[in-house]
Amino acid sequence: MKRILIVDDAATVRMYHRSILETAGYAVEEAVNGFEALEKALQSSFDLYVVDINMPKLDGYGFLRELRGQDIRQVPAIMISTEADASDRQRAYAAGANAYMLKPSRPEQLLVNVKLLIGEAQA
Amino acid sequence: MADNTISEEDFQKFREFFYRKTGIQFEPSKRYFVDKRLVERIEATGSDNFRSYFTMLRFQVSGEELQQLTNLMTVNETYFFREEYQFKCLVDSILPEIAARKTDGSPIRIWIIPSSSGEEAYSIAIYLLELWAGINDWDVEIISSDIDTRILGHARQGLYSARAVQQLPALYLRKYFVRSGDNYQISDELREAVEFTRVNLSERADTRAYRNFDVVFCRNLLIYFDDISRKTAAETFYDALNPGGFILLGHSESMSRISSIYKIRKFPEAIVYQKPQETR
Amino acid sequence: MAFIKKSRNSDALAQDERKVQRDCSSLALGLEQPDPLARRWAARDLADCPDASAALVSRLQREDDASVREIIFSTLTCLGDDIAVAGLVQCLRSDDAALRNEAIEAMKQLPDEVAAIMQGLLEDSDADVRIFAVNVLESLRHPEVESWLIEVIERDPHVNVCATAVDLLGEVGTEASREPLRHLKARFADEPYIQFAADLALKRIAEI
Repeated sequence: MKRILIVDDAATVRMYHRSILETAGYAVEEAVNGFEALEKALQSSFDLYVVDINMPKLDGYGFLRELRGQDIRQVPAIMISTEADASDRQRAYAAGANAYMLKPSRPEQLLVNVKLLIGEAQA
Repeated sequence: MADNTISEEDFQKFREFFYRKTGIQFEPSKRYFVDKRLVERIEATGSDNFRSYFTMLRFQVSGEELQQLTNLMTVNETYFFREEYQFKCLVDSILPEIAARKTDGSPIRIWIIPSSSGEEAYSIAIYLLELWAGINDWDVEIISSDIDTRILGHARQGLYSARAVQQLPALYLRKYFVRSGDNYQISDELREAVEFTRVNLSERADTRAYRNFDVVFCRNLLIYFDDISRKTAAETFYDALNPGGFILLGHSESMSRISSIYKIRKFPEAIVYQKPQETR
Repeated sequence: MAFIKKSRNSDALAQDERKVQRDCSSLALGLEQPDPLARRWAARDLADCPDASAALVSRLQREDDASVREIIFSTLTCLGDDIAVAGLVQCLRSDDAALRNEAIEAMKQLPDEVAAIMQGLLEDSDADVRIFAVNVLESLRHPEVESWLIEVIERDPHVNVCATAVDLLGEVGTEASREPLRHLKARFADEPYIQFAADLALKRIAEI
């Protein structure tokens, strides 16, 4: 089963994304900030990260930067932000994101991106 | 009569809440362990059932019950070689890195807090003597601190129950202990290896003299602190460590919700935190 | 080579290099020293100087060492006066996410001081500042938290400000939030996230 790490400081957002992804057949784990995500990512293997940008301790950019520095596995990441500016989108891609979505996210849009990056839940 | 059954849904709800509040995530296999402690608190607080207890837990302004429950969920007894993988990490990964970096010939310094009755500090001394070749080339200082002077007295004395030493390989038990009735007395060689001191981690005046450490062990202490005290402790360790020094927390603890000034380092044996080598 | 107990000899645990009693004005100057360690100690010891907030706030805007910043935030939290709070609010408008988030964390520790200015923050013209203000409410132990959140979900036009507020109402909401949550659902009928979050909050309220 494909494993996805959801990184967001808002508990409800994590539950929302969990319910969408689990319904589609993916296995899901959670982290509340970039620092905790980095710990989990380095200890375990995931197929995809779904990462909020604005978080305490270590934000989404910081998480991806540190991760790409320490982990040679190039696991794809979707970044989610409240910022609609083109500059934020560019910054996310520069930090190593593979897709960029706006909050609040829509289920069908999230699933399109997930499938594009890692395929259906069952390989 | 109180209804003390905890349903699967209750367990899930509690699990999510507890994770959000403490960062501790119980695997489904821990269900029995969790249920048992929940029931204990439901009874102790005189709650009617899980639901009323959970409501109290969520809304209590003082957060006192959450702290009680956290203590219960994380209760630990200390014994020799507990969470041994961290000592393995110390000798196989951390100390070689520190030794390679240290060029001034100063001793390698290790701080253990809380000391409790000394099992952890003595375990580290045994590990270094037995499993780290570097002990022949380096001076090492081990300082073990606690707020409780009574427990420090026990630590200095070094007399342990059979239960405290049961994880120790028989070889080490023979080598470093003498049987004394039902108990085991630790050797003078090890007692000489560790300095025990009294420190209140939340007291600036107490901690300010603690500097130039290469490794700090602070296992299963921060979990009992509130947010501000945790943050203060993280800052105190930062000041106590040399640049590039390491800090090891308990297996259910993480720096990730406390402070972002440390780096995460992944070693084969464990995840540890590191003070950056040089500040910008 | 072997184990040593240095403390038995002369300089047990490294002697404290700082003079313990330094006066407040020289500590404030210490914030501008080139060595981050010196700035860190100055920022820490300023906790004992009641008038230190202005110097700390001014340093905060320029400080690029994370470990010094962390101490400045701790000391500002400890001082907690008007200047300190105003300095924290200023950080909410920064482009530096780390600075913003540290300010949010610090503000959570000052319930009474922040309560006095919360209404203004929740009416700020910048939606991001309103989101950060709601983030501050997350662990603010203050009796008004629920009514502020209700006001947000009833009035704020921005979906992400409401989304942040409804996330929190799932945690602290009581009977009083029920109707406002229903209104919110109607107001953002085509936003699946709002529907999900409001339903979750309603379900939790029903369980109390």
